[in-house]
Amino acid sequence: MNGKPQIESRATPVPGPARSIILFLCSWGPHAAFQRLQDECAPIPEAVKMVRIPCTGRITKALLFKPFEMGADGVALIGCHEGTCRYGSGTKAARANVRDTCEILDLLGLGATRLRLGLFLPDDSAGLLQFLRQFSDDIQSLDKSPVAPYPLPAVQGDPTPALNQVLREYDVYACQDCGKCSSACPLTLAGKTFSPRSTANALIAGQWDDEGVRRDIWSCLTCGLCSDRCPSAVNFPGFVREVRRILLAHGLGGHEAHGGFFQSLSRTMTSPDLRIHHWSWLPDDIQTDPQSKVLFFGGCAPYFDIFFRTHLGVTTRDILVDSLRLLNFFDIHPALLDAERCCGHDLYWSGDQENFLKLARLNVEAIRASGVEEVIVCCPEGYRTFSHDYPANGVETPFKVTLLMDFLEREIDKGAVGFKRLNRSLTFQDPCRLSRFEKKSALPRKLLGRLDSAGFGEMQERGGGAICCGNTAWTGCDAFSKALQVHRLRQARATGADLLVTACPKCQIHLRCAMQDPFIGESLEMETVDLTTLLARTIQWE
Amino acid sequence: MKKDQGPGGQTEIIFTGFGGQGIVLAGKILGEAVALGDHKESTLVQSYGPEARGGACSAQVIISERTIHYPYVRQADILVCMSQGGFEKYIDVLTPEGILILDSDLVQPRGLDRVHFDIPATRLAEELGRKMMANIIMLGFFTAVTEAVSFEAASEAVAASVPKGTETMNLKAFSKGWDYGRALLKGRQKKAEGRTGA
Repeated sequence: MNGKPQIESRATPVPGPARSIILFLCSWGPHAAFQRLQDECAPIPEAVKMVRIPCTGRITKALLFKPFEMGADGVALIGCHEGTCRYGSGTKAARANVRDTCEILDLLGLGATRLRLGLFLPDDSAGLLQFLRQFSDDIQSLDKSPVAPYPLPAVQGDPTPALNQVLREYDVYACQDCGKCSSACPLTLAGKTFSPRSTANALIAGQWDDEGVRRDIWSCLTCGLCSDRCPSAVNFPGFVREVRRILLAHGLGGHEAHGGFFQSLSRTMTSPDLRIHHWSWLPDDIQTDPQSKVLFFGGCAPYFDIFFRTHLGVTTRDILVDSLRLLNFFDIHPALLDAERCCGHDLYWSGDQENFLKLARLNVEAIRASGVEEVIVCCPEGYRTFSHDYPANGVETPFKVTLLMDFLEREIDKGAVGFKRLNRSLTFQDPCRLSRFEKKSALPRKLLGRLDSAGFGEMQERGGGAICCGNTAWTGCDAFSKALQVHRLRQARATGADLLVTACPKCQIHLRCAMQDPFIGESLEMETVDLTTLLARTIQWE
Repeated sequence: MKKDQGPGGQTEIIFTGFGGQGIVLAGKILGEAVALGDHKESTLVQSYGPEARGGACSAQVIISERTIHYPYVRQADILVCMSQGGFEKYIDVLTPEGILILDSDLVQPRGLDRVHFDIPATRLAEELGRKMMANIIMLGFFTAVTEAVSFEAASEAVAASVPKGTETMNLKAFSKGWDYGRALLKGRQKKAEGRTGA
């Protein structure tokens, strides 16, 4: 250690700071350095709580973010230098994950400075100590994190009475055991051992604790195709959602895709003091007006693009820009909620009713305070949630909720508007929340029909009977969802179209995901664009 | 597009088309709207004869702030054409700075080099399910692009003039024409500003 700075030892602990810092520490190189600090009783800031990890590259964005959801003030990820990582690409992956999570923290208003990557080898304990003290000082200089964690209450006791009540409320007893639901369920048809009928029957028989039943409750995509076919009109998606709520409340959590990142993100947004900067990235040429009586609600697309950037290259944020461009085209300069929060759709459908209601109340209160009379929503899930699920859960919306597509159709129908020639042949992926839940499958087709395209071909399953994109509310993503996406893309290609039009950011993400398959991806590849973007790029005054 | 009133503070208007299109009714509604709703003076001269069986037909309306002494149109400030024959018959009566309005599917202004307003009124009426409402769509369009009559006065006159039970449908047609007119004006303004797309 000749020539290296001496590590300051301490006899008494430094007074405990009010902040909390989670340190994810690679157990290879940096841990040896950290251990030396511990051995020498070095003044490691007390705010730092260390978690040993196998490699920084294994720490996903979901894990990096999780401490923030739980109220941490700062997170440090400590790994090895490039070229020394024993897993080869760990440091590279860590850099990308930290960069993306920092961007998400910025959008959220927590600030990128709360997350930092450090790279240290075993012999650099002094450098590590300096890093930790500097990071701790920086975190101390910031305000305490405004995120107030809301742990789900674990209800004690048997969930059977609550489940029985839901069975009655949703009239699941009306099931005639005909099996039409299972024969329509895209997951079942994709080969998964999942059946809405048997799930319903098992719950009627009180077998909620059965491992298979609990798995199936989280497998369901809540796409609603089963209910569409059910002769007794059993609302199976709603029933599944309620069962998830009860099981979650009893501490019997389920499956959340992507490490639960998006549920974490939504729960973080339930903190009222969070100063979100949802629109900080908006291009300068978009015209908005804080005094407008019309508000545009965008949704979570900006977060999606950052999260999936490294492997999907999605640009769902463009949907928001193009929506605003279309509103500007029709001389609507809408107000925006700078602190826009998630609508809560994903929490609602993954059973976290309590946090969904918190988001709903915060959103409605913020919109009410802004004095707007109409809220235009471009995302089918957001529209469904605002127009249907808020009022159904007792959160009244004292404003008109309009789907952007409805607004556009109304304005275009007034006339004097045309579309530039589009030499592409189109097909359309129906979002389940729009086509099945809101029965609006004719609306996107009406808009597509207005385009001056080379043609439009319907997929084998379409409209109210269309197959889901394979994942709803960030649950149920697995190999069977993938099979479903592959099936859907093959249907799209079979139409002969060369452009797949989607109308929900998640549809675009999930279908693009299947196109990434290293073996069959090329045979599935199809240019994908959101309907909003297509309209914005071709619309013109005549 | 606000039409400046002609000499003597009056605007002279001709509606032309085929018999059966409701040309005279459109003129009558316009005159009533101006008189009863906008509290101005108005006169209507309608053409009689074989027009009722599909020939060329016209309604001449004069709107004025003051008493109108002569009800026939000498120089039209606004010409609305819903037939090719009507267009050809009356185009020379329109003043050089006057407003020309055409049903774009029925009238081809070949060789005409002047700004005009087009609306496919008959096609839009067919899309609404009633071809016979083309005149009301045209009236809505006329109201939007000329501002010779107020929207309120014109829509009230439409509701009061059409057969009982068809008010809602006719007001929908009137709004259709009005919306089309407003959209057209907006589009022209955007184009003038060099902004055509989103």
